Amino acid sequence: MSASATAAVATPAVRALQTALDAENAAVYGYGPVGAHLTGTMQKAAVRYWVAHQMARDTLAAMITALGAQPVAAAAAYQLPFPVHDEQTAAALAALLEDRVAAAYLGLVALSDARLRMFGARALQSAALRATSWRGQSLAFPGLEVPAAGPVPAGSAPSRPSTRPSAPASPTAGGGSPSPTGPVGG
Amino acid sequence: MRQEATRRGVLAAAVSLPLLAAGCKGVGALGNPPPPLPDVAVVRDAIEGETLMISRYDAVLAAMPALAGSLHPLLLQHREHLARLRARLIDARASGPPGHRATASPAVAHVPGTAAAARAYLQHAEQAAAAALLGKLTATPPSLAQLLASIAASEATHALLLGPGRQTV
Repeated sequence: MSASATAAVATPAVRALQTALDAENAAVYGYGPVGAHLTGTMQKAAVRYWVAHQMARDTLAAMITALGAQPVAAAAAYQLPFPVHDEQTAAALAALLEDRVAAAYLGLVALSDARLRMFGARALQSAALRATSWRGQSLAFPGLEVPAAGPVPAGSAPSRPSTRPSAPASPTAGGGSPSPTGPVGG
Repeated sequence: MRQEATRRGVLAAAVSLPLLAAGCKGVGALGNPPPPLPDVAVVRDAIEGETLMISRYDAVLAAMPALAGSLHPLLLQHREHLARLRARLIDARASGPPGHRATASPAVAHVPGTAAAARAYLQHAEQAAAAALLGKLTATPPSLAQLLASIAASEATHALLLGPGRQTV
C-alpha cells in the first residue's frame, strides 16, 4: 500500500487516520470496477457508496492536514484481489472493500482521543452496513475479523442494496465530528 | 485492562494474607472490597445485554419456528459476542455462568404476535443495543473499545437485515 510516503513524526492518531485514508483510497478505486459490472439498483447503490467513500477520503485528508501531517496519496492503481467480471464478483469485491475499510477504522477506536474513537466507531458501523448490504449476511465481528478474500463469499448470493437505502447513511453523529460517509442521498 | 484487574487481585491477596496469617482481626479495617474496575463493569453490562438479546431471539424462535432461517444466523453471532465478552471477564467472582440472571427477563414475556412485528421488535432491540455499546466506548481500554465497537457494528447490521425490506420468510 502507499502509506509509506510521509516522513514526519506520526502520532498514533495520524497513523490511524492515514491507515483509514489508505483504505478509503482503495475503496474509491475499487468501486470503479464494481460499478462497471452492475446494473439497475445495485449500480445506483455502488455509485452512492463510491461518493460516500470519496467524501470520507476528503474528510480524513482534512483531519490529517489539521494535525500537521501530509495525507497519503492514492496509488495510481490498486491490484484487485480477484478478477471482477460479473455481478456476483462485483458484489463480492464491494463487500471486501468495505470489510477492509471497517478494519482500518477500527484502528481509530483504539486511540485515546474520545472524539476520534467515536468517529472511528461510526465509520466502522457505516462500512459494516454497506458490507452487509452487499453480502446479504452480517459478520459477528466486523473490522475485527475480516473474512478471507474470495470471489464468492461462501454460501451467499449478492443482495439487493436497494432495499436498504438509508442504512449506511445513518451515522447518528453526536458532537461535531464529521461524518465519514456524509449525506448519502436516500 | 485485564492486567490491572489481575494485579489488583494479587495486591489484595498480598495485603490480606499477612494479616490473616498473624491472626489479626483487622481485615475489616481495610474496608469493603474495591468496586469492580470500570471496564469490568462495562464488560458485565455488555454480557447482560447479549444474554438478554439471546433470550429475545430464543423467545421469538420458540413462538415462530418459521423465522429460524433468517434469525438463527443472527442468534449464532450473538452467542459469539457473548463468548468473546465472557473471555474478557477475568474476575474470579464471575466464574459462574455470568449473566444468566437475565434469562428470565420480563422483556421476553411479550413476543409480538406476527412475524413482521417480531422482526421489528428484534430490530429495535438490536439498534438500541448497538447504541448502548457505542455509549460506553470512550471510557474503556483500547482493545475492549475495539471489541465493543465491532459488536455494536455487528448489531447494527443485524438491524439492517431485520428491516422490512429483508423478509425472507
